[in-house]
Amino acid sequence: MPILETRDLTKHFGGLAAVSHVGLTVGEGEIVGLIGPNGAGKTTCFNLLSGFLRPTAGTIVFGGEDITGLRPHQVAARGLVRTFQLTTLFHEMTALENVLLGLHLHARAGLRQVLFSRRIFPPDEVARSSEILAFTGLAAVADQLARNLPHGHQRVLGIAMALAARPRLLLLDEPVTGMNLEESGRVMALVKTIRDRGTTILLVEHNMKAVMGTCERIVVLNFGQKLAEGTPAAVSTSAAVIEAYLGAGLEHA
Amino acid sequence: MRRSAPIATALLVVLVLLLLLPFGGGDYYVYLLALVFINVILSASLRPSLTCGQLNIGHSAFMCIGAYTSALLAKNLAVPFEISLLGGAVLAAGVGLAIGYPSLRLRGVYFAMVTVAFVEATRLVAQIWVPLTRGNAGLSGVPKPRILGMTLATRTSQYYLALCLMLVVLLILYKLEYSRLGLVWKSIGMADNLAQSLGVNIANYKLLAFTLGCFFAGVAGAFYAHFIRFLFPPEFGFLLATNILVYNFVGGRGHFAGPIVGAVFLSLLSEPFRGSPYETIFYSIVMLLTILFLPGGLITLPGKLVGLRRRRTVTAPSPSSAV
Repeated sequence: MPILETRDLTKHFGGLAAVSHVGLTVGEGEIVGLIGPNGAGKTTCFNLLSGFLRPTAGTIVFGGEDITGLRPHQVAARGLVRTFQLTTLFHEMTALENVLLGLHLHARAGLRQVLFSRRIFPPDEVARSSEILAFTGLAAVADQLARNLPHGHQRVLGIAMALAARPRLLLLDEPVTGMNLEESGRVMALVKTIRDRGTTILLVEHNMKAVMGTCERIVVLNFGQKLAEGTPAAVSTSAAVIEAYLGAGLEHA
Repeated sequence: MRRSAPIATALLVVLVLLLLLPFGGGDYYVYLLALVFINVILSASLRPSLTCGQLNIGHSAFMCIGAYTSALLAKNLAVPFEISLLGGAVLAAGVGLAIGYPSLRLRGVYFAMVTVAFVEATRLVAQIWVPLTRGNAGLSGVPKPRILGMTLATRTSQYYLALCLMLVVLLILYKLEYSRLGLVWKSIGMADNLAQSLGVNIANYKLLAFTLGCFFAGVAGAFYAHFIRFLFPPEFGFLLATNILVYNFVGGRGHFAGPIVGAVFLSLLSEPFRGSPYETIFYSIVMLLTILFLPGGLITLPGKLVGLRRRRTVTAPSPSSAV
């Protein structure tokens, strides 16, 4: 059984069909890439899956449960966790605090702990967060404010926070955009390791080298519709995909 | 540890001075400081909501509810102060919950508009519901606070009551701010979408921050009622609500001490203008000056001064610059 399945997923903004009738299937343990030209509906798709937008029509089934229309925190609680484009972080907090907040779903704080404990976070949560920082290669910057981190670290911190929420399916929105070759290589290796540890991955990315090198299956969107689906090799040679990206040749126009 | 020691010492000195004030200062200062304590409670209790990114321009409405509830309970039903205070605070929190539940989904300016409408509505109710509140004639003869069967008849004893109330409220708010709860509030203010994606039910957390604020505004109002012993609806209008907001901005939003510093500074400095039209002008000028020259508020002033001095020592080479 697939971990994620959408049927006829559709979202209209006024008269514009940002996403229409998209059927998306992600199997347990896969790394799936979602690509397409600008405005193809990738981000809208992510917002629908993570509960930030309500679909106009269609259903989203995650782990055998219909999660259509659930609110973002409810979706996250079921193990479908997303990251954001650009650097959406808690900028005025340290890297460690950012990850500690990622543990929110799995933390228990009673009134007694809030009012009478001298520690904000219990030691086991701090240990768990430090572990995640070490795993993502951020241990050295744990006590720095997120806003002071270099771009590459900020992006990885976003992934570290999502990991703290213990996702079964991780949605990565442009994880390596704006990175140089070496940085993006490191992040894609991290993504593979995360998958090998048992988390399924669906990612949106414009960096084709990264997508082709990491994903096992690729879904191409164009004008809100599914244009093609298959292995990286099959997709990159598909005439329809090339046309969508590079435009049709003159003879077709 | 080394950094917090001088701060702890300074706080202790301030506390001792406040405890000794009735012995040195006259009745006027005791009265004035008690009013400042009320403003500190109002200002600090607005902070959790502001931290979540909710602009509440109606905080005085909840003070009003706390004040009238406590006053009427004590006056009409002879309820002792500790119960009437709690009653006022609980009703303020309850109304806050009812108002907050539907409106906290609104963002930014829309939520602010709801709170503005609410503060005016509350004031009008207090004016129009004459059989209960006596409307614009004002509710007079509110009993003095009576605690554990003892009536606090003197200004000095009431001053100590206000001091205790303020300290307890500040202690609770401080513990909350520096707990996981406070960090979640902060995270919602910084990036609510990210907080949601990590599983935070932001609606509930905002509602909790707002309701807690209303509770403590109710506490401030209840004490005010038994201290001034005369309630007049227009006093709880839009103007007071904006003043509470101004305390937060002028004091600084970056630290727990901000709203406290702002409330103390502005209440004392505006004292010569209290009740006159100049009060509003004074507040506006201070607000503008703060925005222009100290966007981080008064609490950032010491840091800026230190920075200024350092720069001077660097530009003017002197023997001390080597140290």
